[in-house]
Amino acid sequence: MSRAELLSPEGLRIDGRRPAELRKITSTTCVLSQADGSAYLEHGNTKVLAAVYGPREARHRALVLHDRAILNVELNVAPFSTGERRRRSKNDKRLLEMASFVKQTFEPVVIATLYPRSQIDIYLQVIQHDGGTLQACINATTMALIDAGIAMTDYVCACTAGWVEREAAIDLNYMEESSDTSEVTIAMLPKSSKITLTQMESRLHVDKLEEVFRLAGEGCKQMYEVMDKTIRDRAEDLARKMAV
Amino acid sequence: MPSLISPAERDYILKGIECNIRADGRQRPDYREVILETGVISQTSGSARVRLAGGTDVLVSVKADIGPVLVDPETGEGADKGQIICNVECAPSASQQFEGRGADELNNELTQMMTRFLSHNTTSLTSTPSNTTPSSTTSSHNSNGAGGINLSKLCIIPGEQCWILYVDALVLDYGGNLVDAVFMGTRAAIFDTRIPKTEVQDLGDGNFDFEVLDDAEDTEIVEGREDMPICVTLNKIGARHIVDASPLEELCTEAKLVVAVNRSGELCGLQKGHDGGIEPSLLLEMIQFGKTLGQTLIKQLDAKIKAEADADMVKRQNGQPVVKLGFFAQ
Repeated sequence: MSRAELLSPEGLRIDGRRPAELRKITSTTCVLSQADGSAYLEHGNTKVLAAVYGPREARHRALVLHDRAILNVELNVAPFSTGERRRRSKNDKRLLEMASFVKQTFEPVVIATLYPRSQIDIYLQVIQHDGGTLQACINATTMALIDAGIAMTDYVCACTAGWVEREAAIDLNYMEESSDTSEVTIAMLPKSSKITLTQMESRLHVDKLEEVFRLAGEGCKQMYEVMDKTIRDRAEDLARKMAV
Repeated sequence: MPSLISPAERDYILKGIECNIRADGRQRPDYREVILETGVISQTSGSARVRLAGGTDVLVSVKADIGPVLVDPETGEGADKGQIICNVECAPSASQQFEGRGADELNNELTQMMTRFLSHNTTSLTSTPSNTTPSSTTSSHNSNGAGGINLSKLCIIPGEQCWILYVDALVLDYGGNLVDAVFMGTRAAIFDTRIPKTEVQDLGDGNFDFEVLDDAEDTEIVEGREDMPICVTLNKIGARHIVDASPLEELCTEAKLVVAVNRSGELCGLQKGHDGGIEPSLLLEMIQFGKTLGQTLIKQLDAKIKAEADADMVKRQNGQPVVKLGFFAQ
């Protein structure tokens, strides 16, 4: 099996990016009519749709907490999202694990004590998968929660990073993920630079860890700029419409 | 879908429909505006996105894969035919009641409807009632089979390999009238589908080998796609019937009738839902109305698809990039 050259001699990756370069990010909020908040995010070819319903009455009375809201995350991957068509069942372990990662990431950030005895539902739909699904899900969820008007202490920005051949690189695409490179996903609160999620599969030499983490942190800051701009543009747009 | 409706709201809608004025100002036979875009998903053989002005948003993708032929053990048929496998999924983001297992029943109903109208087996037809919604179904026998699509053309090596078209529909947002949107999206996606050409070599001794030609320019369309049916859903409210119901109107529906019709006006399928009854004379009137409306819709849909394809062609000839708006067209 021939191994694709992930890093060219000039230092360019498969898709022509430099190692510390993010893919093209496009995002928009308020795309669904039924959800309280929604966002659509594209990291290059990875496309994720996030919908937030809530705070609303909890489905299962047994799970209700008297002093805070509970978070419920569901992740769905479309059968046509990867090159090979594959139908994933709702109970697929990988998907459940990713959903629980998203839940863990947002539990400390959402000010749940403002909404006692209620439930906040986050539904994620992966429409196209080209690497970096977890980071796209977290970023889309942040924007959808803001669009729904749910109080949070800060944005949550996520970025993947890894060691591609001889350099640390951020925002890995599908080819880079599926080959022998290590990959770390980091979710960070940009204002305080605190990390709320770190997830890594594969092996990474401890000497390289610092470099990879540093690069991922910078990637998160770049993500924050992009997401903030989208949210502010939308807020200005709404304010303008209301003022008339 | 709001699961509750107040008696006052119900009365308002009922009385309004009597006077031919619906809650959003439409008349009884009026359809909402349809926004259609094809070729929105890469890595698929064909795709389309249909939006009804009111919220319903459906994404349909068609993937052509190569697989073994499916031979019916009883009749021995199918050795020289391709297959179409349909699947409909309602994303939990579409509505409050689709979370967890809430959408399973609806998914199943839509999937079965699509399978029946597009690629039915002639043996397993006739009155297969679904579990909870009392409904009765019939499918007319289309001489081509598979909703007009020529399955024989999809066969590569008879008895061994064929093209399998996987049609996956994803409902992203719910604003009423899912069935029509799903079928319109499917028709558009099949129109957009391009299947690579195959070259079959005869190795002798009855052995065949084939090669898929990787030329992006030289691909085949799905033959028979013009004869694919679309559905028109008619909702009976009071003594009248409406088309393209909004979520609140769907809650007031006593009986629902789905009429599948193709461009020649042939009836390709019929399904009744909900627990109300329809008088036979009204039933015939509704079917007739659905047929005429369906044919008009097919014409409009085809015109839209053609206009989009022409615009893309012009852009390509001028060297401009063809940008698919997708989610950014609000």
